[in-house]
Amino acid sequence: MDRVQITKTILWIITGLTAAVGITRFAFGLGAVTNLTDATPWGLWIGFDVMAGVALASGSFVITAIFYIMKREEFHPLVKPAVLTAFLGYVAVIVGLLFDLGLPWNIWHMMIYWNFHSPLFEVGWCVMLYTTVLLLEFSPVPLEEASRYAKIRNFLMKFRFPLVLVGIMLSTLHQSSLGSLFLIMPFKLYPLWYSEILPILFFISAVALGLMMVSLESLVSSYLYRRKTESHLVAKLCKAAIWVLGLYFVIRMSDIIATGKFGLIFSGTWESVLFIIEMAMTVVIPIALFSIPRVRRSLAGQWVGSLLVVLGMVFNRINVGGLTMLRVTGDTYFPSWTEIIITLGVVSGAALAFLFAIEKFHIWKKRPRHPESDRHAKPHFDRTSEVWLGAPGVAARTRYSFAFVLSFAVAFAFLPGKKIHSGGIEEVPTRKARGGDTLFVDGNRDGYGVTFKHDLHMAKNGQKQSCILCHHMNLPMDKQSGCYACHRDMYSPSDAFRHDWHASSAGANLACHQCHEPDEERMAFTAKKCEDCHKDLFVPGSLIEVEKHVASSYTDAMHGLCVNCHKRKAMELPDKPNLARCATCHESTPPDYLQAAIKGKRSGPYFNHVVLPGASVQRREP
Amino acid sequence: MSVKAILTDVTKCLGCLECVVACKATYSLKMDLPKTWQKNDGLSANNWTSILQKPGNHYIRKQCRHCLEPACVSACPVGALSKTPEGPVIYDNDKCLGCRYCMMACPYGIPRYDWDKPVPYVRKCIMCYDRIKEGKPPACTQACPVGATIFGDRDELLAEAHRRIRQNPGKYLNKVYGEHEVGGTSVLYISDIDLGFLSYQPNLGELALPQTTSTAMKSVPYTFVGVGAFMLGLNWIIKRRMKLQDQEVEKEK
Repeated sequence: MDRVQITKTILWIITGLTAAVGITRFAFGLGAVTNLTDATPWGLWIGFDVMAGVALASGSFVITAIFYIMKREEFHPLVKPAVLTAFLGYVAVIVGLLFDLGLPWNIWHMMIYWNFHSPLFEVGWCVMLYTTVLLLEFSPVPLEEASRYAKIRNFLMKFRFPLVLVGIMLSTLHQSSLGSLFLIMPFKLYPLWYSEILPILFFISAVALGLMMVSLESLVSSYLYRRKTESHLVAKLCKAAIWVLGLYFVIRMSDIIATGKFGLIFSGTWESVLFIIEMAMTVVIPIALFSIPRVRRSLAGQWVGSLLVVLGMVFNRINVGGLTMLRVTGDTYFPSWTEIIITLGVVSGAALAFLFAIEKFHIWKKRPRHPESDRHAKPHFDRTSEVWLGAPGVAARTRYSFAFVLSFAVAFAFLPGKKIHSGGIEEVPTRKARGGDTLFVDGNRDGYGVTFKHDLHMAKNGQKQSCILCHHMNLPMDKQSGCYACHRDMYSPSDAFRHDWHASSAGANLACHQCHEPDEERMAFTAKKCEDCHKDLFVPGSLIEVEKHVASSYTDAMHGLCVNCHKRKAMELPDKPNLARCATCHESTPPDYLQAAIKGKRSGPYFNHVVLPGASVQRREP
Repeated sequence: MSVKAILTDVTKCLGCLECVVACKATYSLKMDLPKTWQKNDGLSANNWTSILQKPGNHYIRKQCRHCLEPACVSACPVGALSKTPEGPVIYDNDKCLGCRYCMMACPYGIPRYDWDKPVPYVRKCIMCYDRIKEGKPPACTQACPVGATIFGDRDELLAEAHRRIRQNPGKYLNKVYGEHEVGGTSVLYISDIDLGFLSYQPNLGELALPQTTSTAMKSVPYTFVGVGAFMLGLNWIIKRRMKLQDQEVEKEK
């Protein structure tokens, strides 16, 4: 296989993985495939796919400005590939956004509901319009394939210059507005990146990035198709990049110094390290490299320099897009592998489309030729494997389909089933206590384990038959049910009755008529009472009023003991307090004797400051 | 219509969670299982208000602050979030496209997301807007057994807060939280401990956050026209220069 075929196979593998992850994302929601949290609602998909994606697609507006506005005719060979990359880049941004948006089918709402205050509204509109402009700019290229489209093509060619002009205007707006998005977060973004001139910095860096992306495209495609690089043009772009990067550096550093943040660069925090790496990648090393004419003209110098700027700017967009907010939000976000796969897959899809267009349309002066495009070639004999391979075109299609389907299946096998099935519920931290049959279970995940008597729970729930209550009938893929599965919310009574368990042969194995009367409608309140069977669960003469099929909550139980009795007694004896209001028993500060008792222990949240009757509750005078 | 507000007196709160229960009952919110994406402040898509416990038996109710100039409303690209004249910041399910910019913009980190649903929405306290329109107080303030959190006109509650601080010297910190923060909020606190932990930074300052982007947003049309004019001018100059050069070349011939 040659370079192109290997690259395409890898791209198809990634696309296959993405398809599987993508289906999961839309079927089970964002939580199933991402590590996003309420504190970090924007992750890799915004930071890379959108923020960096738009910036990476800036090559078109830079090169069209150079070619059409500044009339530098020598750059003509770079224009068509740059416009194509930008168009595919913007389509990739939109596809990436469709994965990230919670309600992607509402994306068109931006067209009808307008909010002029929102930078995102402006970015959205510009991206929509600019993608259309890019499509119109590029469409003459595929249209020239057939002569029957000549009229449309000629019509579009007439509007070439105005389209380019509008494209540059729109690009200026949204490249800078991507920076404006973060102006509203002065409290979250780390000061080294937050700046009131963020839009200006974003625009200048996008211009530099555009120059370097055009260079990199030329380098990569000439590597893949073994063409001659437009080396003299790339050298010119590198020279221009020195000035733009220099301007970026001067403006950014003077802003940092003017706002008194210079000391932060050397403060030794991990953000300061990020900043130094970023500035070295985007500005310092590339300028140093490109300043030497010999390096600037050498292939290696062009590769290293442009790659550094591109990666560095991507890094910058990710830093602004959320990485440097983690200190303030206190979150520990790192993208899950499924997020990374989707990101790579969107890029791979765009790259495949790019390669397709390069081979099918007249983008370079000479269309690349490689075995795949030769449909009439004979099958050939592979000496190493001793088999006849089909015609190259057929063999390639078989290989790519196989790569796609196989990786699709593999991705499904490795998808995080736990996250999907249990809806992101945290595992119950459990460890064995020393000796006996006692476990430490941290049921509410507050870092404090409570002793869990396993044998007691077993005895209460019916010995060996009870295992399934916690270990098999629980949420799928969870090892054991958390405490909350039975001990529900402190303040709400829980419906502990499991109908399916009672009816199933693996459970209580009851027939319908054993609980429901045969000639009555089968409903909860026409069925038998719980205590008819579970006699041991109900204390005779209990003060707690038990509703049918509903287990009382902690509060109900506790209050039932005091309040119900008091209510009853209050009717008989007028001097008893009726405890109708919480404040009768609860005080915000516990009395002294209770404070002594809870000293040294972690105070339980809600019961420790109950003032017992007789201590401070004033009895009503008869 | 006068702006309504909620005043929470931290020193009075018992932490009994009646407000949380009332909120959950009013909006039929589901039971909250511990999820991997929750922050540890008790708020979630199913918990629109929560009680934070701080050492020394301090209970602080956390909820949406209903800023007078909300960052989330200015951030939303489709106007799914809106500030009503009565004070509440409300959310429209049907407009939202799920970009979560509101969650990024909020300085208090309030809006929450249905991460586990294929059709997710943003969820946060809406100050019982429907009840307010009917002239009823929000469910949480009605449920509070000790009057730690009360509802009323913002001006009156501010006066009440200052009155309580004046009348009990030493009991409260001399600050009404939410009076001027980020341009003022409709949920006010008076407290005996510093409530800086309710927001991402202890001191948010008095600048309303929408103003940080408004300069950039106002310059958008000018930038658009300016860039176009600049590019056309540049093109004209370069074209003319090339023309003159060509003429010179021809003359020399």
